[in-house]
Amino acid sequence: MQSAGSAAEGASTNGALTGGSILGEPSDLVRLCLDELVYVKLRGERELVGRLHGYDQHLNMVVGDAEETVMSTEVDEETFEQIVRTRKRKLPLVFVRGDTLILISPLFRQSGASR
Amino acid sequence: MDSMPGQHETQRPADFLRQILGRPAVVKVNNGAEYRGNLVCLDGYLNIVMEGTEEFVGGELKRRYGDVFLRGNNVIYVGPAPAK
Repeated sequence: MQSAGSAAEGASTNGALTGGSILGEPSDLVRLCLDELVYVKLRGERELVGRLHGYDQHLNMVVGDAEETVMSTEVDEETFEQIVRTRKRKLPLVFVRGDTLILISPLFRQSGASR
Repeated sequence: MDSMPGQHETQRPADFLRQILGRPAVVKVNNGAEYRGNLVCLDGYLNIVMEGTEEFVGGELKRRYGDVFLRGNNVIYVGPAPAK
């Protein structure tokens, strides 16, 4: 993740973003993510990484080849330690209701670097 | 009437946000996380795009993002990042 972030910063998108030449409004970033790998943070401690096939004005989204991560914290009844459990599962194609979305971040560089 | 507030007190929320555009900002969202990065753009829903963003949960750095889109309904506040 971190390398993806810094790599993207050095690449073409970021410098131009600040100047406002590419992005007139926030949804433009989501449009740039179309058919790209995205990281999506959802309510209820859920994350999704997959390819963004489509979205609408509510940010309802269709994500393909997605991996969902659900995090849950449990408290050990004897030691009272907090245990963070993560469960993952693959979803070949999934519709995500927009109102559950907290953030989207493109993973452009990661897909390029892994090749 | 009784007082003439300075220009900084009379500005509207939109003017305030315009001043932060392109600058380091802090955005707090519903779930308690805080995002620090350059504020690239925003709209009337308070959907926000930031770049070079760091995610803090409970004051702890959790993640970095190149570019990030935050859905406006989750936003609690937006402000200029305190100088380091």
